[in-house]
Amino acid sequence: MKNGKLRQFVDKIKPTFDKGGKLGFLKSTFEGFETFLFVPNTVSLKGSHIRDSINLKRTMALVVIALLPAVLMGMLNTGYQHFLSQGQDVAFWSGQALWYGFIRVFPLIVVSYIVGLGTEFAVAQVKGHEINEGFLVSGMLIPLIVPVDIPLWMLAVAIVFAVMIGKEIFGGTGMNIFNVALLTRAFLFFAYPIFMSGDKIWIGGMFKGENVVDGFSGATPLAEAAAGNLDSLPSSMDMFMGYIPGSVGETSTLAILIGAFILIYTGIGSWKIMLSATVGGLLMGLLLNVFAVNPFMEVPFWQHMIMGGFAFEVVFMATDPVTATQTETGKWIYGFLIGILAILVRVINPAYPEGMMLAILFMNVFAPLIDYYVVQANIRKRLKRVTA
Amino acid sequence: MENLINIFVKGAFIENMILAYFLGMCSYLAVSKTVKTSMGLGFAVIFVLLITIPVNFLIENYILQEGALSWISPKLAEVDLGFLSFILFIAVIASIVQLTEMIIEKISPTLYNALGIFLPLIAVNCAILGGALFMQERAYNNIGEAISFAMGSGFGWLLAVVGLAAIREKIRYSNVPPALRGLGITFIIVGLMGIAFMSFMGIKL
Repeated sequence: MKNGKLRQFVDKIKPTFDKGGKLGFLKSTFEGFETFLFVPNTVSLKGSHIRDSINLKRTMALVVIALLPAVLMGMLNTGYQHFLSQGQDVAFWSGQALWYGFIRVFPLIVVSYIVGLGTEFAVAQVKGHEINEGFLVSGMLIPLIVPVDIPLWMLAVAIVFAVMIGKEIFGGTGMNIFNVALLTRAFLFFAYPIFMSGDKIWIGGMFKGENVVDGFSGATPLAEAAAGNLDSLPSSMDMFMGYIPGSVGETSTLAILIGAFILIYTGIGSWKIMLSATVGGLLMGLLLNVFAVNPFMEVPFWQHMIMGGFAFEVVFMATDPVTATQTETGKWIYGFLIGILAILVRVINPAYPEGMMLAILFMNVFAPLIDYYVVQANIRKRLKRVTA
Repeated sequence: MENLINIFVKGAFIENMILAYFLGMCSYLAVSKTVKTSMGLGFAVIFVLLITIPVNFLIENYILQEGALSWISPKLAEVDLGFLSFILFIAVIASIVQLTEMIIEKISPTLYNALGIFLPLIAVNCAILGGALFMQERAYNNIGEAISFAMGSGFGWLLAVVGLAAIREKIRYSNVPPALRGLGITFIIVGLMGIAFMSFMGIKL
């Protein structure tokens, strides 16, 4: 497909966007699209450099591929839960469930990408630099961590906030301190709490109360556990497969494990963070089991892994290479503390049903500090070796 | 014992001086450029809090409160010197800060120079007076609780200031819009840190 029609077309319109061209002021927008479609043909000629087929866009695309199982299971589950709430008997693996899920989830994805990329393009235009493609992953993550009934305009407002304040003013992709997707969720959570918490929001159409069957609660397993109704928890298999209410993509631990496998196999996600966060979570759960003074603390420690957003956020958010710690030793500490904090906030803090979002944001704050001390310790060790 | 730990955790995380009450911002923003100096200031703040809060606790309970003077003679049981609390607290704080300054100058002249004017300015740091006033308002039962509160709030201050300093060291070479460089971006970071610290808000101990 060398020099296909598209390439010819792009080459034809290219001069229009060069300096002095008719649309020269849109140069960065044009470049953004061109490099999205084709591999750039500019190579450095001087100095030593490494040539590799992996670049930022491909890294991001791989993460999006790793997310696809979660998207699919999320759509199926959205449909399944919706029909369940209506009292209709529709199987989980059915076209009907998938179709309903698709028409509910797809708009979230579209809005997320259009608004987020629009913000990035606008900023790049104003600052006159190239487009950062950093939103490719965030744009897919954001629809997966919100309840399906969230109004689209709220999502748009939150994304603009997170991309502008959370990323662009820090210098764009790779410079942000806080995870963009989680900042979006935190903004939504604190600005529009009615649409982000409670029992009614997790199931498509339930917030408006259309034909909901009597006695259908819609509560997530975490809400049930927090209320002390351990008996009404779904079976572990259901929670593992994802037949439970929750944010769009977080429900199916199986799909997330497939994603985790892809991330680890391709070397994009740090297995150290995933492992240490899981260990931290398990240890904290175990500790709470020992001191169980209320029903929530009696939840078997391993069940915390398959409830709520723990698995999803450990695999896809905590491993964000930008906001996590950069040093290898730091990654162990960072992940471990995330696991501990997440379970701690989840169980101890009555204000939040789920602690994962704030635990990761909290550790984002201290990631640079962990790095600083790991580096300092390394320097001290080497100095000792030299002077000894 | 459990009570003391609860007060410590509360002071450090749930009611963090900086990120929950936004007290002591001036030195927080000014001295958070490098981790090393901010660590020094953090320890200075802990030290000052650790002395002033217990001392002020004693003053509050044995001089200022209504009926606190009854240990001198029963006739004074009705005297209420509560209106003097601000003046006395500030006097205690100012003298302790003076002492801290002399100690730091003696022990570590580098840190003394790095902290500069902000060391004597701890005297007017809102976090210190705030600590004393919180102590008064929350009416701790004994001096152990007051010390635990001082440790907790000082530790929380230290944690917040070194966290911010590490972030500022990390973004030193970031391409921040010119208008926001320096204090502007720092304010935004502190706001976002506040969101992260919301994770502890609402925990009842």
